[in-house]
Amino acid sequence: MTGLGTTGGPALVCGEVRTCLLPTRDAVDERTAVELLRLRADERVRVSRHPNRHAVSPDVLTGVDCLLPTANGTRVRAVGTVAARAVLVEGRVLQSTAYFRAPAKGPDRRQPWGYYLVRPGTLVPVGRLAEKPVTEGFLTGHRSGELDIGSVAESLLARISRRHRFLDYDTPLTTADTALRWTAAPADDGEAASLRFTKADDGLRIVELRLPRGTAPDVAAGLCEDLALHDWLLSTVNDKLDGLRVGADDGTAALKVLRPLVDHLLHLWMPQARVDRALRTTWAELEEDAGYSRQWHTLAQRVRDQLTLLHLTRRDALATP
Amino acid sequence: MLVFAASDKGGTGRSVTSANLAYHRALDGDDVCYLDFDFGSPTAAAVFDLPDVLSEAEGRGLHSYLKGKTGEPLRVDVWARTEHPVLRSRPSGSGRLVLLPGDRTGGEFVTDEENLHRCVDLVLRLKREFDLIIVDLSAGRSYAMDLALAATSPRGGLGRLKNRWLVYHRWTRQHVMAAAELVYGKQGIVLAGIAMGHVPDALNGSIRFVRAAVPDLESPLWSQVSPAQYAWMRQCDKELEELAAGRGIGKTRVLSSIPLEPVLQWQERLITDEDVHDRRIANNETWQAMGDLAQRLTDDKFWGQL
Amino acid sequence: MSGAETVFRETSAEPRTESVPFSHLSLELGHLYMEDFVEGPSRLRRHFASVRPWVDAARAGVGPLPAGRRPRISTCFLIDDYFSRLSTPAELIPPLLAAAAEAGLTIDYLARESGCASPSPAPGEAAHRDRTELAEAVLHRLVELPPPGSNGFRPPVSRTGWLTNGRRAPAQRTSAALDSTGVVWQPPGETGARGHSVFMDVELWSGPEEERTWSCAFLASVWQLVRLGLLRDNGRAVMTPTDWFDKEFPAEWDALPPVLKLNSAADPFTAYVTCSVLPARFLPVEHAVRVILDQVHVEDEAVRMVAERSAGEGFTVPAGVVDRTSYVFPPGL
Repeated sequence: MTGLGTTGGPALVCGEVRTCLLPTRDAVDERTAVELLRLRADERVRVSRHPNRHAVSPDVLTGVDCLLPTANGTRVRAVGTVAARAVLVEGRVLQSTAYFRAPAKGPDRRQPWGYYLVRPGTLVPVGRLAEKPVTEGFLTGHRSGELDIGSVAESLLARISRRHRFLDYDTPLTTADTALRWTAAPADDGEAASLRFTKADDGLRIVELRLPRGTAPDVAAGLCEDLALHDWLLSTVNDKLDGLRVGADDGTAALKVLRPLVDHLLHLWMPQARVDRALRTTWAELEEDAGYSRQWHTLAQRVRDQLTLLHLTRRDALATP
Repeated sequence: MLVFAASDKGGTGRSVTSANLAYHRALDGDDVCYLDFDFGSPTAAAVFDLPDVLSEAEGRGLHSYLKGKTGEPLRVDVWARTEHPVLRSRPSGSGRLVLLPGDRTGGEFVTDEENLHRCVDLVLRLKREFDLIIVDLSAGRSYAMDLALAATSPRGGLGRLKNRWLVYHRWTRQHVMAAAELVYGKQGIVLAGIAMGHVPDALNGSIRFVRAAVPDLESPLWSQVSPAQYAWMRQCDKELEELAAGRGIGKTRVLSSIPLEPVLQWQERLITDEDVHDRRIANNETWQAMGDLAQRLTDDKFWGQL
Repeated sequence: MSGAETVFRETSAEPRTESVPFSHLSLELGHLYMEDFVEGPSRLRRHFASVRPWVDAARAGVGPLPAGRRPRISTCFLIDDYFSRLSTPAELIPPLLAAAAEAGLTIDYLARESGCASPSPAPGEAAHRDRTELAEAVLHRLVELPPPGSNGFRPPVSRTGWLTNGRRAPAQRTSAALDSTGVVWQPPGETGARGHSVFMDVELWSGPEEERTWSCAFLASVWQLVRLGLLRDNGRAVMTPTDWFDKEFPAEWDALPPVLKLNSAADPFTAYVTCSVLPARFLPVEHAVRVILDQVHVEDEAVRMVAERSAGEGFTVPAGVVDRTSYVFPPGL
């Protein structure tokens, strides 16, 4: 696999990560996680246990032949396959990533399908790519008929969600899914990895990355999965604490909200668990600007403080004759 | 929980009562979403006071989604978008209230495997975000109903989700008979469901009836009627109760009775706390009945095989 | 990228792919139905006599090889024990080998078609439950070729159990009265056709999903992939030949390993490219095989191994999987 911006390698890598809570009452164990992500019988699910439990499905491919979204209306047709993979973090949070790499230029006409199948996850432009308009167009969103990578990610989520042998659909809390759309272009020599992160409405996040030359596409996808996971965690806990009624009754309502957070989400915060060292400057930037970890630790502390207070109040109430 | 709202005839208050049900659950803190499967005559947008949504949903509504014309059906945040003055200020502690509107020009369609798949995918996706999913089906035995039965059958993909059916009917002879036919008739929900693999007891136990626009003879509304009228109405009520019991939809199978509400006769809308207590245009009994319906929907002691 | 700095690794997170040895060419000496065998030894002798000259031509055609390199060529023969079992290995195989020898041909490897359908046992062990059915594994590796306009939202409408080389005629799903768009009939089309279409719709399997009967075309595709050394089961090699030198043949097909190595001096079973000498009646089946092979995404690592190894010995292997297969349909077979 050749890296980003190298000779013969892709000029651009683009993708979308969808993040959601696995539809089960409890987090699933490793064996179930492996079964869930076994999208192909003959290929292993990759499992890693440190620093947290993390399972990755094999890539599955979707063939496409369509126009790429462009900002300025340039017509760029591309043919090939979009790769998609699913990730399960601590048996609790499910992510699906659809991504592709694109070389700067390709043959002037569509080739036999076998040509594309030996370049999995590559969209080969018919002619030249026009990197900048495609990057901008991709991040803005597709128009009708143009490449719809979000649907590829969503259909993989749907495919896993339909495996009802393993799922009870009885989630302990309701959460909103997020979609993180990303592009990665090669950084100049000597320039550190950097990102531009935009939080849009309706759970949409937009990330524009500049990564060191030679970065493998799946490594870039891994970084974005890590960003998406933590952004989802923060958004979810933030939403749950928004408008929390702490003094309303004996605390039952507050407990109903707080307890699932402790049971299911608070232990999942682990930024850069598997992020390649050369890419960690991107996280540093995000921390500096948006203070993700600072906010998370404050929220987590608030959840724990509230629970302690509730506990004390209830004990007092019981003690009072 | 997944709830299907069905009725044999139009004008049973199915949509308006279901929308009020959604509203009450959201007030109580549940995240609720309302799917307008009433293809051909989607009314939910009007009930929630969302005048622009009908045209917005053109080509992006549920019908287009099920047909595979769009990947993301339109979602409307009711609290944020409604023109209803009371609803616009979302009460603290309330849950989300989201409408997935139907397309106006959709019409009925023939169900096939692809529709079924999309329907299942959509519900599974919404299930992650919402505590309660209310699906408003068209009146009568519709394709939308077949789709619902197929999707919730053991092999349909939604078989493991807790699902319940509310069958709405008015309190008249014709409506009682029609509602019984819709559920227990030859072409009814139960037999159709069993043919698709549903377990008879489970399906039967998940169906309850909601009587709508029921005249409460003790309410002030009827205080002016003559003794003869009163006696006649009492007799009718008694006969109707007997008829309902004989058709298998007697009191034990009724989840709630919604009293005749003048406001709803004039306008299909949400009844708010303010309508009852400040403006005093709606009856407290109606507010109470809607609230009871909302509570009983998830209270297991009102459900199951009898 | 930062491989040199890595201080911690987990083997469960890094899949391994077993390597296999490669000949230059895997040459298939024919394929017969059980019914053909029943016709007796003369039928077999006629078969190999017709095949012989084409085998010599195929051998001569290997290359070009760097000076001084001897071409590695292995021969194989596939017995259909999947669709019917009229005879036993003990009755059927010895006359087959004798007939081949009479025509001056050696069958290096003998394979059972059932082996392409069932879980592949490791050498010396019985079929194991945790092993994957080969045919099913290949089924999951199909990536349907996208007709122009496929943008990922609606992947080409797949019909369960079938695969095409293009776009099917749209089915009339909606009655005209209900659908205002008024769809009119459209012909099916071959994607990438030269002018006019040769549209093909291949049945991959039939029967209920739990007990599928795989089609001949699909099993033949698996057979090609096995010979090309491109299949793995969770990283492990599949259908590895079992030595069977001068041994008796059993009375049960299932007692026989899926691939036998009959000639101890044979070159490796798996090869960079394949050539099959087949009766012309198999032409439609092999057309279907090409439609299937054109849409199989083989494991990247397996592809990479072939590319690396062949480049290392200066032998050119076509990039596309389907281009690695070739056929001879001689007259008189």
